[in-house]
Amino acid sequence: MNLNPFWSMSTNTVRKVRERSSFSALKANFCQVHPTHKREERQKNRIFKRSQRDSHTLKRSDGEEQSGEQQQPRASPARPSFGKKQLPSIPKNAVPITKPASPAAMAQLANGTHASYGPFYLEYSLLAEFTLVIKQKLPGIYVQPSYKSALMWFGVIFIRHGLYQDGVFKFTVYIPDNYPDGECPRVVFDIPVFHPLVDPVSGELDVRRAFTKWRRNHNHIWQVLMYARTVFYKINTMEPLNPEAAVLYDKDVQLFKSKVVDSVKLCNSHLFDQPKMDDPYAISFSSWNPAIHDEAKERMFTHKRRPEDHQKGLQVSGLSWVKPGSTQPFSRDDNPPLS
Amino acid sequence: MMMASMVANGNRDGRQGEALVLKGVDPETCMIVFKNHWAQVVKILEKHDPLRSNTSSNMASAVQNYVEHMLFLLMEEDAGQAGAMGPILEFVVMENVMERLFLWSLRRQFTDDMKLEQLKMYEMIVGQARQPLLHHKPVLRPLMMLLSSCSGTAGPEVEAELVSLLNQLCCVLAKDQSVLELFFHTSEDQGAANFLIFSLLIPFIHREGLVGQQARDALLLIMSLSAENQRVAQHIAENTYFCPVLATGLSGLYSSLPTKLEVPGEEWHCLHREDWLQMPTLVQFLNSLEFCNAVIQVAHPSIRDQLVSYIYNGFLVPVLAPALHKLTLEEVMTTTAYLDLFVRSVSEPILLQTFLSFILLHRHENVHILDTLVSRINTPFQLGTVSLALFQTLIGLYCEDVMLQLILRYLIPCNHMMLSQRRVVKERDFYSVSAAKILALTPSCCSPEHSPPPLRQLDSILWSKGTDNKTEESFLEEDGSGYSCVIGSEIYLDVNYLHYLYNARLGISSCTRACQVWSAPYDGEDPPPEEYQPSALEEAGARGRQAQTVNPKRSHPHPRPRPPCPPQTTDPAPTNQLELEWDDSYDAGPVVPPEAATAESSRPPQPPAAEPPKHIQEMRRTAIMLVKGSYIEESDFQDDVMVYDLVAKKDEDHFKVSSLQEKDEVPLSNGLSLPPHPTNMEVNSSEVTKGSKEVKAHVADHNSNLQSPLATEVGDDLMDQYEELIRTLGSDEAGTGGSSHVKTVDKEFRNPVVTPMEEDEVDFSSFSVDTPELEKQHSSLFGTKLRSGSTRSHSVPFTGPFVSVLLSRLENMLDNSLHVNLLLTGILAQLAAYPQPLLQSFLLNTNMVFQPSVRSLYQVLASLKNQIEQQASTKKDFPELITSAQHCLLARESSLKGQDTNSGDSRECSPLEAGRMMKSSPPPQPKTISLARTEVFATVLFTEFLKELAAIAQEHSILSHVPMEE
Repeated sequence: MNLNPFWSMSTNTVRKVRERSSFSALKANFCQVHPTHKREERQKNRIFKRSQRDSHTLKRSDGEEQSGEQQQPRASPARPSFGKKQLPSIPKNAVPITKPASPAAMAQLANGTHASYGPFYLEYSLLAEFTLVIKQKLPGIYVQPSYKSALMWFGVIFIRHGLYQDGVFKFTVYIPDNYPDGECPRVVFDIPVFHPLVDPVSGELDVRRAFTKWRRNHNHIWQVLMYARTVFYKINTMEPLNPEAAVLYDKDVQLFKSKVVDSVKLCNSHLFDQPKMDDPYAISFSSWNPAIHDEAKERMFTHKRRPEDHQKGLQVSGLSWVKPGSTQPFSRDDNPPLS
Repeated sequence: MMMASMVANGNRDGRQGEALVLKGVDPETCMIVFKNHWAQVVKILEKHDPLRSNTSSNMASAVQNYVEHMLFLLMEEDAGQAGAMGPILEFVVMENVMERLFLWSLRRQFTDDMKLEQLKMYEMIVGQARQPLLHHKPVLRPLMMLLSSCSGTAGPEVEAELVSLLNQLCCVLAKDQSVLELFFHTSEDQGAANFLIFSLLIPFIHREGLVGQQARDALLLIMSLSAENQRVAQHIAENTYFCPVLATGLSGLYSSLPTKLEVPGEEWHCLHREDWLQMPTLVQFLNSLEFCNAVIQVAHPSIRDQLVSYIYNGFLVPVLAPALHKLTLEEVMTTTAYLDLFVRSVSEPILLQTFLSFILLHRHENVHILDTLVSRINTPFQLGTVSLALFQTLIGLYCEDVMLQLILRYLIPCNHMMLSQRRVVKERDFYSVSAAKILALTPSCCSPEHSPPPLRQLDSILWSKGTDNKTEESFLEEDGSGYSCVIGSEIYLDVNYLHYLYNARLGISSCTRACQVWSAPYDGEDPPPEEYQPSALEEAGARGRQAQTVNPKRSHPHPRPRPPCPPQTTDPAPTNQLELEWDDSYDAGPVVPPEAATAESSRPPQPPAAEPPKHIQEMRRTAIMLVKGSYIEESDFQDDVMVYDLVAKKDEDHFKVSSLQEKDEVPLSNGLSLPPHPTNMEVNSSEVTKGSKEVKAHVADHNSNLQSPLATEVGDDLMDQYEELIRTLGSDEAGTGGSSHVKTVDKEFRNPVVTPMEEDEVDFSSFSVDTPELEKQHSSLFGTKLRSGSTRSHSVPFTGPFVSVLLSRLENMLDNSLHVNLLLTGILAQLAAYPQPLLQSFLLNTNMVFQPSVRSLYQVLASLKNQIEQQASTKKDFPELITSAQHCLLARESSLKGQDTNSGDSRECSPLEAGRMMKSSPPPQPKTISLARTEVFATVLFTEFLKELAAIAQEHSILSHVPMEE
């Protein structure tokens, strides 16, 4: 949990480092964010709390927790393999604490899937989206799902040139809970940037104009993020959310520019503020602290430079004697002769 | 003996007090004492030449006393400056003390006691001297003489001491390689075998107990020496019998293993640690195997390659291969269990490779071992289960070669899917569509909505909607790390599904990591499907086989005639045909000949496996009935030559007999008629024997003109054929499935879903498309047979025998016993976790459109769901039984867990514990349920399996698309 992303504002030369570092911190966090881990954690909390409240209720809750981890191969010996079917153990003396679930939630969906798994599908869909974002390596954009919900992502965008150069804008992505069948995700800047397409009050970016209809399998969240970046480089004044900005851009670019500079300054001056959301995975900036950041930077750069070495360190357990380009077993030349 | 006491007691006796005060004594004094002692000894030696006068024991013990103290002084002496000899050592070398002592004792009666004494003396000074002694010939030479005098016959005490000394010498060698040269030189002086230490150790390689262990340890030291020292390596590889001794030793030890295991129970399926610990012969074998493993690990490549080759050609091929083809079910099963154990015991990749290439590529009587093993999965009784366990081990190796031969090579051409689907292979399932479809197969009686089983009511997790969590009636809690998270209850979530997700994540990650060493991603593009189309495959296959193994068809004694009706395609691919012929055997859908099927359906349904003997009789009878309909089919498996011959004959009786004779000489090419089983069934009970005799009589009728001494053998062989035939045909839902064929067939007619009639059911379209073709095959006889055979081999997509056999066993899930289902679902889950898109898309992608003749896992699951729903609708107490079974399984699970924690042993132990637990019956529950209610247990397991698969599918959608970084 001490992997909170760190940020530091200083000179331009540091920026690249910083950005890269943020990216890796992000990835580090991705591991934590992964639902199974997170869930496990949450559940532990819950069970822990419950047993505190009602000490005789769930004496065996710990064992129950372990059952997941322990699901190692049993019937099969030695080799790593998959476990057998396993059900959670029945807690003894447990008084079922049940809440009547809403009938709507319990109903079977039209396509026959069980509603109770719906959340899993949703969370995994969002995680898949997140992995796509990582894959895209969008320049200057970093996001991270919140701890509390996969439907809310924290992000920050660095503008490297153009009118908004040096702007660092924090934002939040809100994803509808019927994703991917609902509306397109919303992007809301923490501080309303002065921009024709950004609502001057709420800070919300007009995303919908680019994604009039959100189509599953075709539209992905990285496209939204990409769009959020593009608006700062190619300014569109059609049907603006901020008419003032639109008019200024069309009529008085100089004034527009100076207003943008002010807006960028304002945003950057709030960079070190506490995150708007109280969430452990919210993105927060701190000033450069050599004691912490130098070492982290060092680590990142050595990692970047020698990916092969890193790979070698991993214990590879797989086996192959297949010559690349062949589908014959034991076709590699270094096989010892058997006769 | 004096020396012995000194060594053992560290000279606590101290009559002279030297040891106690030695530290303070200056070297000069020590030297003087030493010289004095030696003068005394010399006096005795000169006066009492043992050859001339009888040395009194007094004199001898006097010498011993002096020597004892002299050696002690020598031992305690520090080296001089700059590594020079200390004065005592110099004196020893100059005066040739050691050699004179040795010669003196040699001239006395050189009894075992004397040898023992000398050996202990050297062991002491070699082990404890503070300066290197062995560099000096006057020390080394008598030692070598002693060693060579000890070779050959000696008592166990001397042997033990000898090995112990050799071990010590090897330790010195390992530390100081400069001595090595001297060892070689010295022995050259002797004119004896070059590397005496090594040669002396060889006889002890396979010795049990401490001596053997010490010898093996010592040899290992030399082996690791050989890795750096070309000369040692060359000597061992070229001038010693080390490798052959090791390998043939394995064969010898193997031959003393029990040929039949006493199987503790029906659920037993592999040899656990606790099993083999109780079998001394097996322990000994494993010790030697472990030693081979270690040698291969550390030795020079030349030794390594030689040893591997000897193990292959001296153990696997001549010993293990025949053992895998013994005559009785028990023997074959035992060998399979041994093989599984061996594969699990071996850790060194090169040795593992040897075993694997034996399994994958070796042909015993022209049949690949792998094919034989795969075909046995479908055998009833324990052989099938043990074979399954072996495959579980193999799949768990994450070995590309294994997966290639088992499955991937059938998937590479992408013929199993519609052409348009090729691009789907790599597509990722963004929205868990496949998982949802799999979970939607959850039987209504098990669905959490229907009636949440008691266990699940406890667990519900909040699905917080993030944006509007304030509206939930939820409360915030602080966890240890200071973060708050939302806790509450909104929707029932299956908590154990989280465990499946977690496990899936672990499994997929480790598998993905392991597969990084593979040569190709197997994603439908690399290897390119176009290059591995059947025609292309044929060439590649031929090339490969020429290079590696003998192509049986090519080495066939007869010339290979063209089939009478030329095949439609230009060139019938022999190798490819060989592969695709499996199609008939496993994937053939409803192959039941019409007459046989009706005969079956008219019979009352059999109670499930209640009376095995009767059941087997039934099977035999069916076999006879099937003969008419499908013997042709069977012959299709064989070499075209034979079929050609047979076609020419026409006379049916004749035809059978001659084909049988042929079969004796020319083994089948597809492994189907390997004869593991039939006679063995006779072992089971007298009734069975009777049954088989009846059949034999029947056979005899058919073969009345066959009056050769081979008669009974042929009869047996025919029985094999029948057996195989049943198995072959029974592999499908609609067929007569293995042990439970009667029931299955019956079921097929009761269960409308799986009949070909139900064409509107998309999932089962394959069956309906399949059937006409097969009927055509059955109606067509000899001539057309051939053509259809070769046509099929080119056109009908096939996902390989292994997949087929797994799926057909899975399809019988409701009749399988719990442990078989555990194994089956375990293997399938293991396969599903492989990250290769070809495999993933085939097993998990429910949106993929396959060729009609290809059966997918999803189809099988869907048909199982239907079977279950049917059961549930006809049995009133089904929900109750389900609950009982759940409790029973949970109890089993937690007792397993208890075992795990109790035995704080290594990881390797836990599965063994599990094995033990499986033997004991589950503890009584509120409602007990008999394990014989397989359909109930299978239903529970089925539901869990769906979750497991869905979880794997979900994790794949994320993990397989993220570059692995830790």
